[in-house]
Amino acid sequence: MINLFLLMVDIGTMYGIFLILASSMELEYGELGIPNFGKVMFFAAGAFTVGALAVRIGTWLAGITWEGEFKTKSILYSTLVSRYFASHPLDAIAVFLFTLFLASIMGAVLGIVASYPAIRLREDYLAITLIAAGELFRIFGRNYDPLIGGTMGVGVPDVLAWLPSGAKEAGYILLSLSFAAATWLILYRLSTSPYGRTLRAIRDEELAASTLGKDIVKYRMRVLALGSAMAAVAGVIYAFYMGSVLADDFNPLKTFLVVLMVVLGGSGNPFGTLVGVAVYILLDRTLAILKHYVVLPFDINYFAMFLFGVLLLLVLMYKPEGIIPERPLLTVRAKFCRREDGTPERKLCD
Amino acid sequence: MMLDTNILLDALVYSNMLALLSLSLTLTIMTLKVANFAHGDLAIIGVYGAYTFLILAHVATYLTLPIAFLFGGLYALLNYVLVYSPMRRRGANFVMLMIASMAIDIATRSMLQMYADVLKLNFKVYSRAFIFNDVVFNIAGTRVRGLVLISTLSVVSLLAILYVLLMKTKFGVAMRAAIENPALAEVLGINVEKVYATSWFLAGGFAGVAGFFLPFRIPTSPDLGFIILLPIFAASILGGINSLSGAVIGGYIVGVSEILGTYLLSQPPINLSTAYRPAIPFAILILTLLLLPQGIASLWSRGE
Repeated sequence: MINLFLLMVDIGTMYGIFLILASSMELEYGELGIPNFGKVMFFAAGAFTVGALAVRIGTWLAGITWEGEFKTKSILYSTLVSRYFASHPLDAIAVFLFTLFLASIMGAVLGIVASYPAIRLREDYLAITLIAAGELFRIFGRNYDPLIGGTMGVGVPDVLAWLPSGAKEAGYILLSLSFAAATWLILYRLSTSPYGRTLRAIRDEELAASTLGKDIVKYRMRVLALGSAMAAVAGVIYAFYMGSVLADDFNPLKTFLVVLMVVLGGSGNPFGTLVGVAVYILLDRTLAILKHYVVLPFDINYFAMFLFGVLLLLVLMYKPEGIIPERPLLTVRAKFCRREDGTPERKLCD
Repeated sequence: MMLDTNILLDALVYSNMLALLSLSLTLTIMTLKVANFAHGDLAIIGVYGAYTFLILAHVATYLTLPIAFLFGGLYALLNYVLVYSPMRRRGANFVMLMIASMAIDIATRSMLQMYADVLKLNFKVYSRAFIFNDVVFNIAGTRVRGLVLISTLSVVSLLAILYVLLMKTKFGVAMRAAIENPALAEVLGINVEKVYATSWFLAGGFAGVAGFFLPFRIPTSPDLGFIILLPIFAASILGGINSLSGAVIGGYIVGVSEILGTYLLSQPPINLSTAYRPAIPFAILILTLLLLPQGIASLWSRGE
């Protein structure tokens, strides 16, 4: 039987986490036109920071001396730390805020590093470079045991352990959704401000934007730093919500899902991101529930991924502007042009 | 430090495979200007086609090589006809085609996973991590693994066929014209659509042949297509992304350095885990982009 409360908790929290990721992708790809196919790397940077530090700081705060290997004992100690957090809420909040702070800095720094290829390379070179960098990051986490326990994964103490059962789950929804709301509002404000118009100008015609005195390098670097910090925040919340961090969880499939959400919702429109994430989460959960009722000769998870792949293809082919298309700029009286075959084009009509 | 002959031969086989894959990737990039992130999957489609045939008809393994060619080629053709060609007609840009190839990659791999489940259920065979048994030839007293001989022969003959097709036939002239300047070629009465479709079929076939050699070396699973993507791209970019000869040479450079580099780094005194193997093609990719962004082909061909 499916527990309805836990299902709602899962949907709410995952919606928040994916909304943060999708907002950062929308900012980078939808607004500025950088296809950041290494998104999962920045997501992992946040989660790995929590995985590596939360349990260590927790044991130090609780005054527990660590015996044995990090790889084999982290799950045990994270349970002990969670028990300590149940009676010391301030310590728990401090650990959360500290890892959040550190992770967003980590994300921003990685984003600035990634902006070097992003400024110089053609989109396909950039994409394969970022995918490969993300994979190497995952391989490092998987093979270097002291970081996040290698193939065993690492336990993450429960920073909301001091809340009674029931309120704790609601607390995670609240945490995730409030960070998501803040992230989305940043995206929305940027998108509708002169800054957002500059980003779109760079996306649509780099040369023209630079002749108007816009420093393209600086814009790309800042947007990637901000977007990557956002993705790292999503990783922090994900790690605390899951209660563990496993390197192999951060595979390129996550990036693909975020791209799917942004393109499906409508890239270039922050409202599209809200819708795209919702459609994905609902589809995914529906398929997960159906799993209990249908018998197929193959694993239904593969079928779900197949459907998502085909869905993205169909969107790209028949509705490339997404569910909520990008609207014309609010400050300019103009309509979207249509080509002869009726498809909209991102330029102003004569 | 002694280098085992086996490692050198393994490097040769791996490079043969990589050369075919980067050559075919370059062919698709030249026609459609799309970085195909599903290219590795074409190899896996080919090998699953051959494997299925092996299960159904008990023949010598190497006889199923043409099946791998056919499956890889047909699947690539299908991709072109159903997705890329319509998208190109609708004026999709470069990045959208790239995202489409990513979607195809996800769909293809999950389709192969489902197929592997069905295969296992119906035939009670290993459908993941399967291997092919090799044969040993006896040539003038020396024992040679069939894989070394046949993969090298395949590369040489496929390259020869491609060369003759491109340089000596009327179709080849049309193909080169359509790659060079599609609009002008169309005006001159060349059916660009047909030419591109043929190149995709050939590219898929080459990838399928490369994939056929995979299970002789390592256990083959549906996700392997994504794992081999990085070395393929590294080889193609090293080769200059728009040069077929560059792609082949790039394939050999990346292949040999990946195998030898991984081996040397895993030996004392470094003792690095072989899991870091993708770091080598990644390093080649980065160094190429930094030092020689036009690829090694720019060393011998005049810039445009």
